[in-house]
This record gives sequence, structure tokens and C-alpha cells, in this order.
Amino acid sequence: MTIDLKNLTIAKAAEGLKKGSFTSVQLTQAYLDEIAKRDGDIHAYLEVFADTLQSAEAADIRIKNGTAGPLTGIPMAIKDNILIQDKIASSASKMLEKYKATYDATVIAKLKKEGVVFIGRTNMDEFAMGGSTENSAFGVTHNPHETSRVAGGTSGGSAAAVASNMTLAALGSDTGGSIRQPASFCGVVGLKPTYGAVSRYGLIAAVSSFDQIGPVTRTVADAEIIFNAIKGRDTKDGTTIESGDGKTAVTYLPSRMGKKKPIVGIPRSFLSMGGIDPDVKKSFEESEKRFKDMGYEIRDIELPSNQYALPVYYILNFAEVSSNMARFDAVKYGLHVNGKDSIDDYFESRRAGLGKEVIRRILLGTYVLSSGYYDAYYNRANAVRSMITDDFLKAFESVDIIATPTTPSTAFKIGEKASDPVAMYLEDIFTVTANLTGLPALSIPCGTAIKEGKSLPIGLQLTARHGDEKTLFEAGKDFLGE
Amino acid sequence: MITTTELEHLATLSRIKLTEEDKQSFQKEFDSILGYVDQLKKVDVSMDAEGRVGAVKNVMRPDEAVTTSAEDRERLLNAAPQREGDFVAVKKIIAQD
Repeated sequence: MTIDLKNLTIAKAAEGLKKGSFTSVQLTQAYLDEIAKRDGDIHAYLEVFADTLQSAEAADIRIKNGTAGPLTGIPMAIKDNILIQDKIASSASKMLEKYKATYDATVIAKLKKEGVVFIGRTNMDEFAMGGSTENSAFGVTHNPHETSRVAGGTSGGSAAAVASNMTLAALGSDTGGSIRQPASFCGVVGLKPTYGAVSRYGLIAAVSSFDQIGPVTRTVADAEIIFNAIKGRDTKDGTTIESGDGKTAVTYLPSRMGKKKPIVGIPRSFLSMGGIDPDVKKSFEESEKRFKDMGYEIRDIELPSNQYALPVYYILNFAEVSSNMARFDAVKYGLHVNGKDSIDDYFESRRAGLGKEVIRRILLGTYVLSSGYYDAYYNRANAVRSMITDDFLKAFESVDIIATPTTPSTAFKIGEKASDPVAMYLEDIFTVTANLTGLPALSIPCGTAIKEGKSLPIGLQLTARHGDEKTLFEAGKDFLGE
Repeated sequence: MITTTELEHLATLSRIKLTEEDKQSFQKEFDSILGYVDQLKKVDVSMDAEGRVGAVKNVMRPDEAVTTSAEDRERLLNAAPQREGDFVAVKKIIAQD
């Protein structure tokens, strides 16, 4: 039998499974066939799990018994930094190449309970540091729309797998845009939930004050289904909060001013700073018009401190990375290379196990945290982070959503920015603010640009108040006509 | 500009061995990265430095030992690169006189 993977959504798949149009084993096999056909060119997966069809069989029993939920039997790919017990979780690093997860991440435990079928683990930038999946220790992921271009990063494998029908949905993680930017580059939907909405227990930490797990999907409705399945307070992650129902939005204010549709704010002067690809700009203007035509009020807003978002983001990123990466001691787990004595084991193992971008950030983090520079860098960055957050909260007094492009350009060529770290960092200009402020942000496909004869996707980013994913889903579905 | 001595000191603090080639490229890159983030120095900072992350509040939990299953203990011990019985093995750190 053939299943129309190109037009499949989670809701449609669940209906097909329930009605018996196909089984989870058949559905899973259809994705495995696509992987066999396409992943040689794309390299979205680091591993396809050998027991995938067994999980599908177990799901089929639940479906037959009538105990299935909305995600039972649905195949999903998981980013390589989220732990699934007894499976390798390498974070695309040689340091953890053979590391088998000793427990399930909370999101995995939740999805297992739902009866999700895990297809495999997806490629990423090593330890979630990068913006193109070129920093993977196991090879780059290619963009399914044009294989000479990057899929984005750090969740490049997850986005490429969804975009090329090699899975129905995927989990990624977002530290500075790592779900939204690859979703934008690959033409799919990506959600970075409110900081604290989803437990990070079992997520290999990169930058603990930024990291969030979120879905990469084909539709906004699919992202909503997965978000609702993985969100919630978790005693194993003290940063978790109740979120996502709109009612408990922590910065919830008299919204919409009595209007039926959310009010969309546009940071006009921030967008006129330059550096945005003309095609992206044009597509953004068309998106603005589309919202207007649908009856959304558009208001201009100011985010004056936003111009400092990138330096703030990178200082804090380096600082937290240098602290988080200290746990790789070659003693408890991970790669061990023998040195001449115990302390030399550290030096040898860390040099052999960590890639260049990771080492670069550890050293820079150690620098900005050192006693002579701590005030000038780390403390100052934290203060400006608060200023940026205050700008956003002030803007949300008069609007419900803030819209920007997800990225300043479409997917770039593999190798184009690899030798210039600053050029790579500039890619994150629109996405880092959601991580600095903890606000939820959604990237949805909003158009395409023709580059060298190939059509490349463009993403639109919508940001909402803390805990107000509901408004993002509503506006996103409206925009895409779901 | 960051000096080679400074770079070597950072590498020592970070417990990472650097090659001569690493040092050369990092020196150049650090200049451009630090030059870029240095624009923060011109911000008029009136806020306190206590970073706030969204809506998160401090959460305390009781300081209690949690019992794990023998199975979990096995998994954790097996993750260690060098294991001896129920111990994680490391090189000798105290020399005998």
C-alpha cells in the first residue's frame, strides 16, 4: 500500500491508524523506505533504531485495544542530545560517540507513554553549538531543497528529516534559534516554547539559561499536539512552570484590547538596521499584508535594546558553555584517552573528544568569566539581558504577538560561513531574543526565494508573552490556513 | 589582542591541550569575536546585573538521598570508561614516599 506522506499530518495519521487505513508498522515502514532512498544525500540521521518496527507493533496493539492517544503509533525522530534509555546519545560529539543513555529524558518518558514510535536520532551541531549542522563530528546535514546548502542548525537533522518526509515529526532543542532557524531553512514549522514550559531533564545541556526542547513539524497543529504532550512541570527540572494554556501566561495582560484577533507588533526600526536579504524582506512585507487582510491589527513597536542582543547572547553562551562542558572529565562517562597521569587524562581526552567550535567557546567562556573581565563581560551582559527583556514586556502591553523574519537570509552554502565564526553568529540576530527573554517563539514557512535557480524556503517568526503558546498556535494556523 | 600566554593560561584552566596551529587560529578569531562583543561596553547600564530569565523563580528541594535500582546503578557504572567491580577506576593521584 502507499501512504501519501507528502500531505500527512499527525491528526490525519492518527485517524488513518484508528480507522485501520494503515497500521503503525506500515506507516513506520513507509518512513524507513524514504530514509533508505533519501538519507544518503541528506544525512539527517546519525542512527536509525533497529527496534523501530517493534515499537510500531506495540503501538498497533494499543490502537486495536482502543487505548490509543493522539500520538500512539506516530513516528518521530529525536535530536541526538535528548536521552533515550539504552540508546546512544552523542550530541554529535566524539566525546559521547559510544555513550548509551542511562535514563529517559522526561520528554521521552512522556512520549513513550503516548506510544510514539522513535525512528532514530538526528544530526546536529556538536553539543548544540553552531548554526548549520556543519559542526557535527559525524558529517554535515544537507538541505533537502538544495543539497549544496546547509539545513540550518543546530537541530538541522530534525528539520531536514521532517522536510524530506523521513519522519512525520521530530524533537529539537533551541538555545539561540536551533529549532526555528533550521525549520525556516527547510520550510517546516518549529516551536521554541516558553523557558520552563518543557522539562530539560535528560537534555544534554548547552546553555542552561537558554535551552528549551520543542517540536519540529509540518504543520502548526502538529506542533501544538506535541507541545501539549511534552509540556508541564517536572520535579526533575526546577525551572519548569505550568504553561501554554494562555490562562497561566505569566506576563498575561489585558490582551487584544477587546479585539477578536491578536494584535501584531512589528519592530520597524530594528528591521531597518540592514543586513536582511531583499527576498526575505519582501516576503516579510507580504506576510504583514496577509495578517492585515485577515483582520489582524498591525502596530509598530520599539525594541531599543535589541541591537545588543547578539553580543549579550554570545557572552552568556560562552560563559555557560565553559561551565557546562567542565563535566566531561573522562572518568564518569564519555571518551577516555590515556595521558601520563590523572590530570593529563583530562587534557588528552578533552582535546580528542571536543570539536573546534566547542573548544573555542570553552576558552572564550573561561576568558569572559575570569576575574579581571567578569564585570565588563558577564555582569554587563546579564544587565543588558534584563533591559532587552523589559523592552519586550513593555511592547506586550500594546500587542499580543511580535513578528520578524526568522533569519536574515535563506539557507547558505555549505562551507560559506564555516571559517568566519562572527559571520555565523550574525545569522542568529532574530532568534536569540526569545532565548534571552524566555519568551515562546514559533517559526512558520511564509514564502520562498529563488537562489541560483532553486526555490528556498523563508520563515516568519512570531513571538508571544511568557506562557502564551496558545496565541502563537492560533495565529500560526490562521496564517497558514490550517 | 589576546597574547599566547593568556591563551595558554585559558587552555590550562579549561584542561584542554592546544596545538600550535590551534593557538594561531584562536588568537585571530578571538580578536574578531571579542571585538564584536565589545560593543556592549558602550551601553549605558542602569539595571542591576542580576539576570532574570523569563518567569522563572528559585525552586528549593529537600536535600535527600534518592535510592536507585540495582539496574540503574549498573547502567551508570557501565558508562564509566574504566570500571573495576563496583568502582569507577582512575589513575593513582597520591605518590608513595
